[in-house]
Amino acid sequence: MRTKLLILTTVIGLLMSTVPAWAHHAFAAEFDASKPIKFRGTVTKMEWINPHAWIHIDVKGDDGKVTPWMIEAAAPNALLRRGWTKNSLAAGTEILVEGYQAKDGANRANGSIITFTDGKKLFVGSSAGDPGAAPGAPKQ
Amino acid sequence: MNRFLTLALILAAAITLVSIPAAAQTTSGPPARKPDAPAAAKQTPPAKGWAVPKTPWGDPDLQGTWTSDDCIGTPMQRPANLGDRPYLTEQELAQRESQLARQAENDKQETVASDARVGVGPPGHWGERARRPCKQTSLVVDPPNGRIPELTAEAKGKRIPEGAGNNNPMPASWEDFSYYIRCITRGVTGSIFPVIYGNGAQIVQAPGFVTILHEMVHEARVIPLDGRPHAGPNIRSYMGDSRGHWEGNTLVIETTNFLGNRTGIGLNGGGTPTSDALKLTERYTRIDPNTTQYEVTIDDPKTYARPWKVMFPLTQEQGYQNFEYACHEGNYAMFDSLSGARAVEKKAAEDAAKKK
Repeated sequence: MRTKLLILTTVIGLLMSTVPAWAHHAFAAEFDASKPIKFRGTVTKMEWINPHAWIHIDVKGDDGKVTPWMIEAAAPNALLRRGWTKNSLAAGTEILVEGYQAKDGANRANGSIITFTDGKKLFVGSSAGDPGAAPGAPKQ
Repeated sequence: MNRFLTLALILAAAITLVSIPAAAQTTSGPPARKPDAPAAAKQTPPAKGWAVPKTPWGDPDLQGTWTSDDCIGTPMQRPANLGDRPYLTEQELAQRESQLARQAENDKQETVASDARVGVGPPGHWGERARRPCKQTSLVVDPPNGRIPELTAEAKGKRIPEGAGNNNPMPASWEDFSYYIRCITRGVTGSIFPVIYGNGAQIVQAPGFVTILHEMVHEARVIPLDGRPHAGPNIRSYMGDSRGHWEGNTLVIETTNFLGNRTGIGLNGGGTPTSDALKLTERYTRIDPNTTQYEVTIDDPKTYARPWKVMFPLTQEQGYQNFEYACHEGNYAMFDSLSGARAVEKKAAEDAAKKK
């Protein structure tokens, strides 16, 4: 695909072990850890749907061709509790997305790290993982 | 009522609460199946100088939206090295508190942390947060070692949900997903055990009824308190058949008539298996204006060598409310996982054909 994909060559650091419990997903079944993505896109809309919100973006390739992508975001209720509203991400906003593509090769990805073009985080919240289990508690 | 009398009554109520053995709520069974009284993880007595509010019709008032957020990340089972110690030490509590403070500080940062890594798991910013440290070393408080009792021979190797794979990495059908991922249910315990988000439970009372509305997967349990018998043994469901009554200020809910092993006992309805013999006895006790102690005894002789108990606090937080959870409206994860598995199979077949 000739979009402006910058395929990462770095070894994949799995963050799954830092998350204390599952989200509403079988992540490994949905996304492909061998298909990292990193690109810039323009928001066309945000779907405030359960169990997770999705950000729709247009990604312009080197050839000028525009490809729509869907980027998975947090649960809408969690976003609401963090002060997000339906007006928080306006269409036309440019964002940078890093994550992994869907296993079936469709233009969908998990949004592991999403920032504005000035480097600021799109979502309020930790980008370095959760603190994990209580002290003294090895993984179960 | 003078203050001394009030205090005496509260103390008496507290002693009553603490001294009621959990096994007293199980209707029958050999003595060997009675859970031991947990060594130290007993119910906290109600706050001093405070009395449990009553509804206009005189029942203890538990109404409000409660969350188990504070115990997010507390392990289900206690690490073996902590032995029979149910609570964190002062030092460990302080450590946990500073972890939460660091997390809150990190949350406020406007730019991505330098050590942030791209992953395929749920990113850290998806989670909701504990507001204060959970004091427990594990959610399981009985047996005293905080470990889930041994599974019976019949239960060993049982997969959840019954009859299909759970989170099978190569799902062949929608039936290979858990009932949680399928947006059906997380079961009774899965609906209230603390997970990374969506831990709200709204309690609404009316004369003769209590309703508990769980945000995630939007479960609504309508529980009669009027002493009516359970449904007949042939009537079975994912959430079972619940009957409630008051023991002092404690709401006791007994649930039976489960289909068995559609959900387990664990986070989001995963965890360890269950059977159609499962009986849950839940106890909700409001111990101060913003805290309700929750405990549940899991009695399932077909699955576990003995009954066991899970406990954690629920809190009310300023501005916290349940939101709509129309789970299946955008459940693309199911579609992506099925199409992902087919894509992997197709590629494997193509690779095999090339080798020939």
